[in-house]
Amino acid sequence: MSAPVRAAAPGSPKSLARSRPRYGEQLIKAILLISALVSIATTVGIIVALVEPTIEFFSEVSFGEFFGSTTWGPLFSPPAFGVWPIIVATLEITLIAILVAVPLGLAAAIFLSEYATPRVRKIFKPVLEVLAGVPTVVFGFFALTFVTPVLKDWFPFLGLEAKNALSAGLLVGVMIIPIVASLSEDAMAAVPNGLREGSYALGASKMLTSVRVVVPAAFSGIVAAVILAISRAAGETMIVAIAGGFKSVFTLNPADEMATMAAFIAQAGSGDASVGSIPYKTIFAVGSLLFIMTFFMNYVSARLVQKYREVYE
Amino acid sequence: MTSQPNVTIRGPEVPNTPGSLDPVFTVEDLSVFYGDYEAVRNVDMLIGRREITAMIGPSGCGKSTVLRCFNRMNDLIPGAHIKGKILYHDENLYGDHVDPIEVRRRIGMVFQKPNPFPKAIYDNVAYGPRVNGIKRNMDDLVEEALTKAALWDEVKDKLKQNALSLSGGQQQRLCIARAIAVKPEVILMDEPCSALDPIATTKIEDLMQELRQEYTILIVTHNMQQAARVSDRTAFFTADVDSAGVRHGRLVEFDQTTRIFTKPSDKRTEDYITGRFG
Ligand SMILES: Nc1ncnc2c1ncn2[C@@H]1O[C@H](COP(=O)(O)OP(=O)(O)O)[C@@H](O)[C@H]1O
Ligand SMILES: [Mg+2]
Repeated sequence: MSAPVRAAAPGSPKSLARSRPRYGEQLIKAILLISALVSIATTVGIIVALVEPTIEFFSEVSFGEFFGSTTWGPLFSPPAFGVWPIIVATLEITLIAILVAVPLGLAAAIFLSEYATPRVRKIFKPVLEVLAGVPTVVFGFFALTFVTPVLKDWFPFLGLEAKNALSAGLLVGVMIIPIVASLSEDAMAAVPNGLREGSYALGASKMLTSVRVVVPAAFSGIVAAVILAISRAAGETMIVAIAGGFKSVFTLNPADEMATMAAFIAQAGSGDASVGSIPYKTIFAVGSLLFIMTFFMNYVSARLVQKYREVYE
Repeated sequence: MTSQPNVTIRGPEVPNTPGSLDPVFTVEDLSVFYGDYEAVRNVDMLIGRREITAMIGPSGCGKSTVLRCFNRMNDLIPGAHIKGKILYHDENLYGDHVDPIEVRRRIGMVFQKPNPFPKAIYDNVAYGPRVNGIKRNMDDLVEEALTKAALWDEVKDKLKQNALSLSGGQQQRLCIARAIAVKPEVILMDEPCSALDPIATTKIEDLMQELRQEYTILIVTHNMQQAARVSDRTAFFTADVDSAGVRHGRLVEFDQTTRIFTKPSDKRTEDYITGRFG
């Protein structure tokens, strides 16, 4: 004999169906969704805003001239649109910055995560964050008025110009140290302690444990930190404008003055380029290129991370 | 009956009784502190060469704490320190001249949760020899260690695979292989089977019987049957609450395993092994 299945009868336990709607939950979900949409919409908006003037630019200046020549001077007459000098300057300053920031930032992260006592860490981390909060204009003037003169003094054979890629790159590097250090430290702190113990128990020193176990296990987080740092360095404007200068010569010598893509945008954008003019459209073309370059670097690095990361979960 | 000596150490007042036991470690009046907290007090033990010594007792009574003194792992915990003495052969393990890194090379350790590095199986085994600068044919060394850990046949075709692709039991045997690869004299095991299923546990227990031909093994286990099955000697720990209400672990009884499980001389040991423990 089986009892017939019935809906909740009087006296029997209440039905498991929701008794009243949960409006709060719906509202929070809606707010979160809107927040997510705002950032997506901004990104899409930027792309849309870049695309139209960029297309117009290329209807007046050929791809061949843009990528095929090495003379840059859209604001001169006659104008020249060979973009390589500012690409090279951007890459060179970014490279110098990364050469500064990755070793120092990683060393700081290893120190904070593996060596520092909780007390020292509590003092050091805020100091790093203060460094991250220094306005870049301060770094720029520091590079121009202190670093360049000192470098000229100590290394006269370099033949530094008053504005040069070297000082600018060094200070961009200093600027991004906190990004590398702080995010790498987070990634290293997330490495399970059992892995460290496993390494120590085999007779490894602290340094070996840090370098051969902790850093590889935190690799994907560290690469993400470096990618973000590269993007910030490539787009940095104030330091390179002040200390790197605006002269667009096709050169690899870091002792020379050179304008990066961001510096050009700042210079042209703060000038009197009227809407619809060629200098105006050039700003957007260069902006698009910088956007694509950054995107491409992020993509390549993300693929590298996929390939080499050590998963510990 | 075997001709093994009857070593019963009930406290600091009882002298060590070496007999035919060939001690690798001599623990004398050992107390272990975390900062001001005395986690374990007044432990006396002898660890025999090529024997398996089990440490049993309720949770929190300081078994892991004592185990981690033998390879100076506790040095890594800020504030941890000891009083008393541990002799490794005739050398004071905590002497000023002693390098903890050298200690850990001679005295390997296997942990409760398998903790292989997120690297290739091969690199896990080669890690110890590499960081210790051992310049032998690495392929041979890796094969030898994996064979001794009864894992070679299962992994020989996938040495380049990530160690985390292995099952929990295989990971634990890999950790044993990793410890063996640096050729230690002693292997410390802290509840090595507690995260494993019964079949994997049996494999590790069988493996321990193989390993005792060559190594001295100390094992912490919460599983009394395991202690009874695998060990030659058993140390029973418990925790007392002192007059200030603070819990301190201490060694109640240390004897041949057969005696601990058949004729314990302390009432608390008997209660514990018969399951009547509070
Ligand atoms: N790192 C530590 N810092 C402070 N106290 C600890 C630490 N590790 C263990 N203890 C304490 O020491 C006592 C013994 O712990 P443990 O050796 O882990 O016991 P068991 O392994 O027997 O379960 C417990 O009271 C525990 O809370
Ligand atoms: Mg324990």
